[in-house]
Amino acid sequence: MNLYKRVLGAVAVSLLAVAWVPQAVAQDNLVDTIKKRGKMQVGFGSFVPWAMRDKQGQWVGFEIDVSTKLAKDMGVAVEFAPTAWDGIIPSLIASKFDVIIGSLSITPVRQEQIDFTTPYSNSGQGIAASKQLASKLKWPEGYNSADVTFTCRRGAAPCKIIEEKWPKASIRQFDDDAIAFQEVINGNAHAVISSEPKPTFFTLKNPDRLFKPSTENVTNSVEGFGLRKGNPAALAYFNEWITKNKDWLKERHTYWFKSQDWASMVP
Amino acid sequence: MAQAPKLTSDVTRARPGPRRRPWGWFDFVLLAAVACFCVYLAWRTNVVFKYNWEWSTLWPFVFRFDTEAGKWVPNLIIEGLLTTLRLAIWGILLAGIIGTLMGLARNSQRLLLRLISGLYVMLIRNIPPVVFVFVFVFFIASQIMPKLALGDVVAGMSSTGQWWVHVFFGSPKLIDNFLLGLLCLSIFSGAYVTEIVRAGLESVPRSQIEAGDSLGFSRLDVMRFVVLPQALRNVLPPMAGQFIQLIKDSSLVSLVSIQELTFMAQDVQVTTQRVFEVFVFVGVIYFVICFALSRLFASLEQRYAQANR
Repeated sequence: MNLYKRVLGAVAVSLLAVAWVPQAVAQDNLVDTIKKRGKMQVGFGSFVPWAMRDKQGQWVGFEIDVSTKLAKDMGVAVEFAPTAWDGIIPSLIASKFDVIIGSLSITPVRQEQIDFTTPYSNSGQGIAASKQLASKLKWPEGYNSADVTFTCRRGAAPCKIIEEKWPKASIRQFDDDAIAFQEVINGNAHAVISSEPKPTFFTLKNPDRLFKPSTENVTNSVEGFGLRKGNPAALAYFNEWITKNKDWLKERHTYWFKSQDWASMVP
Repeated sequence: MAQAPKLTSDVTRARPGPRRRPWGWFDFVLLAAVACFCVYLAWRTNVVFKYNWEWSTLWPFVFRFDTEAGKWVPNLIIEGLLTTLRLAIWGILLAGIIGTLMGLARNSQRLLLRLISGLYVMLIRNIPPVVFVFVFVFFIASQIMPKLALGDVVAGMSSTGQWWVHVFFGSPKLIDNFLLGLLCLSIFSGAYVTEIVRAGLESVPRSQIEAGDSLGFSRLDVMRFVVLPQALRNVLPPMAGQFIQLIKDSSLVSLVSIQELTFMAQDVQVTTQRVFEVFVFVGVIYFVICFALSRLFASLEQRYAQANR
């Protein structure tokens, strides 16, 4: 047999071998799989104050507290899988991690793709607007005009809200929130919608450039853990954990969202 | 008929030779105009662009002082940089290997090999890199990587073994993540290397191969001693370009959460809210790496040119 046949034969055999190896069956029960493995992989995107880096480069934030406690109660280690927000649901479906605990609002569109637990946190979307461009606009109907430009983080809930509430306005979407805010600060867009307390913090930081047309939330949303479909046992397990830790979750939520006690931890 | 050669030689002589021209007054005018334009741009940016530059928040993410250990340790940006460097080095090696094999296959006498390599190049060169990255990671690699279970393999290794893995591939915990990015980048870049290799092989005149044949060289020896040395010299400049491109393309895999320099930079951006400082700093880092590589290739070219004089 010559070299050509040998090499191609080896390639063909190894390809078949890879296809033949039985896949670890993930469908049986996610909680068992996690316990057997001894670690829970959690997907999330970085987002202040849900999950962010402290001065040591370690993860801190509301989600980090929740994931850490959940893993501890399950008796397993936690492994953080920071994920680009655009790809967070595809990554879950592709089994890159077990669960999304990452400020994922429960929406009907997302529910078609993945399962959500009962809400473990609630949040609201707030607005910050450019003083230079929007100070004369009437809240909220004045913003529904073709001359008004909103910014938001791509793939996040606010973009949808803007489309529904101000259908005439145009939207510019950015990969992360910081740039979406920067555009409004620079006077290139009229307003930005993002999850509170970010709009409030940014307005306090840039009082000469930004203002809040309304201190009330534009909409309110609730967040749940995201799971691949077809895991009823795991869903029930997480739901029970959330119900049992209701007070603890509330206390943590107040700490991260209502207080600024953690401000010295991050740069 | 007698005039024709004379004319050609005149034309040849009239062409500007390698004579170097010193600075003239026109060059200074041009330079001044460019400088004025730059100053104007900087001034406009300052007026339009409201941004308080604040570099001090960035540095702790490059190096931080570990109070427990009492020394400076690398932080996120440097960790990301190391991953990018590992991606670059292994990526160049792997893309080089894939490209050489596929390039040889492109020139093969076997129809099947030509078809396989042709299909590979056609598929990858004609879809945008971002689409390839997503398709590859979510549809192809997610079928293969879990079966390999490399994370478990590494976890089962001795501590010295793990140390070596760490040096070569980065943190064992992220080994799957890293290899995924590496594979994606190499397969993508390999297609371009394939075409460069093919062009290099075709640049060697057929007569050279025939000469080798007539001297009684085997086909492998013709490749090794006649074709490849000449082809290699010819492909060095485009190859340098492709490898530099590979390093810049490595930032694309941040889209699928491979934790390299760009991904880490985005993390730092979100946390510190210092968007432009991070952008600029990371841009400088990429420039330094790519510039160093282009200097390396330039010196390689020079050595080859001298050796083959």
